Amino acid sequence: MNTLRLMAVFFRVSVLNETAYRVNFFVQLFQSLLELGTALAGLAVIFSYTNSLGDWSPNEMLALVGVYFLVGGVISLVIQPGMSALIDAVRDGTLDFTLTKPEDAQLLVSIQRVAIWSLLDLLMGAGVLAAALIRLGENLGARQAAGFIGMLLAGGVIVYSFWLILASLSFWLVRVENLLEIFQSMYQAGRWPVSLYPGWLRFGLTFIVPVAFATSIPAQALTGRLGGTTLLGAAGLAILMFALARLVWRLGLRHYSGASA
Amino acid sequence: MNLLEELRSLARLYGQQFRTTFATMLQYRASLLIWMIAQVLEPLVYLIVWSTVSNGSGGSVGGYTAQGFAAYYLAFMLVNQVTYTWIMWEYEYRIRQGALSFALLKPVHPIHADISENLSSKLITLPILLVVAFILALIFHPAAALTVWALLAFIPALVLAFLLRFLLEWTLAQAAFWTTRVSATNQVYFLLMLFLAGQIAPLTLFPRWIQIVADILPFRWMLGFPVELVLGRLTQAQALEGLAAQAVWLAVSLVLVRLAWRAGVRVYSAVGA
Amino acid sequence: MSEPAVQLKDLCKTYRVAERESGMGAALGSLFHRRMQAVQAVDGLTFDLAPGEIVGFLGPNGAGKTTTLKMLSGLLHPSGGAGRVLGFIPWKRERAFLRQITLVMGQRNQLVWDIPAADSFELNRVIYRLPRADYRRTLDELTDLLALGPLLKKPVRNLSLGERMKCEVAAALLHRPRVVFLDEPTIGLDVTMQRRIRAFIAEYNRRSGATVLLTSHYMADVEALCKRVIVIHHGRLLFDGDLSALIQQFTAHKTIVVQLEDCQADLRRYGEVLECEDGRVTLRVPKAETARVTERLLADLPVIDLLVQDPPIEEVIDRVFTQETA
Repeated sequence: MNTLRLMAVFFRVSVLNETAYRVNFFVQLFQSLLELGTALAGLAVIFSYTNSLGDWSPNEMLALVGVYFLVGGVISLVIQPGMSALIDAVRDGTLDFTLTKPEDAQLLVSIQRVAIWSLLDLLMGAGVLAAALIRLGENLGARQAAGFIGMLLAGGVIVYSFWLILASLSFWLVRVENLLEIFQSMYQAGRWPVSLYPGWLRFGLTFIVPVAFATSIPAQALTGRLGGTTLLGAAGLAILMFALARLVWRLGLRHYSGASA
Repeated sequence: MNLLEELRSLARLYGQQFRTTFATMLQYRASLLIWMIAQVLEPLVYLIVWSTVSNGSGGSVGGYTAQGFAAYYLAFMLVNQVTYTWIMWEYEYRIRQGALSFALLKPVHPIHADISENLSSKLITLPILLVVAFILALIFHPAAALTVWALLAFIPALVLAFLLRFLLEWTLAQAAFWTTRVSATNQVYFLLMLFLAGQIAPLTLFPRWIQIVADILPFRWMLGFPVELVLGRLTQAQALEGLAAQAVWLAVSLVLVRLAWRAGVRVYSAVGA
Repeated sequence: MSEPAVQLKDLCKTYRVAERESGMGAALGSLFHRRMQAVQAVDGLTFDLAPGEIVGFLGPNGAGKTTTLKMLSGLLHPSGGAGRVLGFIPWKRERAFLRQITLVMGQRNQLVWDIPAADSFELNRVIYRLPRADYRRTLDELTDLLALGPLLKKPVRNLSLGERMKCEVAAALLHRPRVVFLDEPTIGLDVTMQRRIRAFIAEYNRRSGATVLLTSHYMADVEALCKRVIVIHHGRLLFDGDLSALIQQFTAHKTIVVQLEDCQADLRRYGEVLECEDGRVTLRVPKAETARVTERLLADLPVIDLLVQDPPIEEVIDRVFTQETA
């Protein structure tokens, strides 16, 4: 349907946009490799002193790192650029152009920008994840795979909704671009299983800034640590967050266009 | 101008800078909060991870118990806060916007304004971070062997660490004269800091050869050394050696600052301010 | 008698703006309590536009032109009154409505900056769901009318301001809207380009029968394009009628600015003296007498410099306004 065609054409525009700057590819490659190297070196140091972190084995930790980069790649590929562009558009009024188009404005602002070189992060993460899965080998069953994919999807929806709510705040507040940084700065904590953290921190990383849904929870599903209730709970939360984000977005639009409250 | 007048005018400059910084920070409350969360979260995560490792390995790892790690990372957080700069991003921004021209027109070396801006902001953020560290200490129960001489030696070590780190990062910031991709050069720097300044793990947990490299390079002297010193993990001889190393690197960095600035200005004026 | 394309009745828009004084005290105080002030941007506007009309919407900066256009294109909810465009209520933003209108804003770009305009056009093609054949035909026509040929393959950032404007206009018309809102489309452009854009709008209106509402604070735009003119000031309608009537009524004068040594000379016998400062005298004379007065000034006085101008639109508006209240 038209949504897919729209996504395709926006993706095409972004590719055209970025390939105008070839240097960015090599810089991004360099930086991504450096980041991955850092993460793996960190793991190496930890596991030179122990065989398991919490109750996570080295291969399971490798899987977590893979998920971290994979989801991080998706966020910087499609979520962060669009939301950042939304804040700019609200500020300089070019959102008006989007609003005169006969398509759902939330859809348009969400897919309007794709930072295609983040595909490198995504592919790297997928590679690391694949390597980890091979090493985990026989422990992976269909149920875990299904749970993993489900949690990835739920996590994606939750993270997207979180970002959209934050970006929509720009309808009411100024200088919201700094607020978006909060996810980036807390995302680092997602490189380690949230089960390690004390309760209050775990809570913050799950329900305040949903880093756990992006990294730990899919990884937990993959390694068979998630029960059915948690899976359903996460799915339910995803639906709830999406509805909430849509509501905040629409309220923001009404405020922007001066509709009576 | 004699020395007294010069000091007085510098003091006025620093005072004015403080007022400006305070007003600006009031505007950017949200980003300040987020930045501080990041400042706290990173050492906290390592604290928790290493505590887990040590608890799972019979109580201690490489000479650190869980409480030892707590002390290390809380001290690290505070020392990092005192020595931290963002000057690399600042110069990238200034050169890109052409705002550097204003600095070049003033009769004072821009580094003074940069230092005073840096210190002014810390006068505001450091107290907040001390409170946070205190609360975290109540939760994580740090333990360290504090001695009077170590605490006294800590003061010059901290001052030298601040100066050294500021000057070297200032030199690094000049890279913005030559490339727009400072995010890449900065990332290499951060990576080296992560491993060789005692951030990802206290340096004694690394293999011997990495520790030797860390002693030769300046990163340990910017961050890890004062932390180890104040926690009583160094002998007096080691402390003296460390202070000497800091002094040597400080001298080197002063030369580097000079060279980098001169070369950078030449590039900048050649292109046209 | 067909339905009007655009209908407004008593349309109003009030903004609430926060006000704050300078200084530290006020800054800290604003954290707790904000003083709001009501600004009446549009105040009871009523008019109709018939299909196919090109109407000029004139007024000085801050008169409420852009606000009105935003309400008619669905971007703003009014504070009061009613409006309909093509039978739709604009601020409901129904898809069927949005497909038939377009908004071009003189100082803002909808084209993607770093890629050729042709690729931005393609984007609009998908957004508006235009069948390829129709799209091609429209694009060819627009390329022809606007002389876009060599521009389409260049990245938009490499185009000059005028070339960019042409592409912006083309992008806005790809879906053949029935109502076209133009908000200061010629602002910042050089004279030649302004003329080209005006010629294009006239031709486009002739060919497509689209209704065009054009705002500007350049009289030249309006003189070239519009038979009918609507003048607003402080959000209120001041004049709605034939352009020739407006010109006849309110710009029957010209302004002569004479630079002399000082202000001592009495120039009242040449025309109405508006002001004098440092020897710079501003005179108002009836249009018909401009040549004669200029000649006499140059002959009688030691003129350093002399300039003949149309009275600025603000002055025309002021006269319209004072006439209305008189």
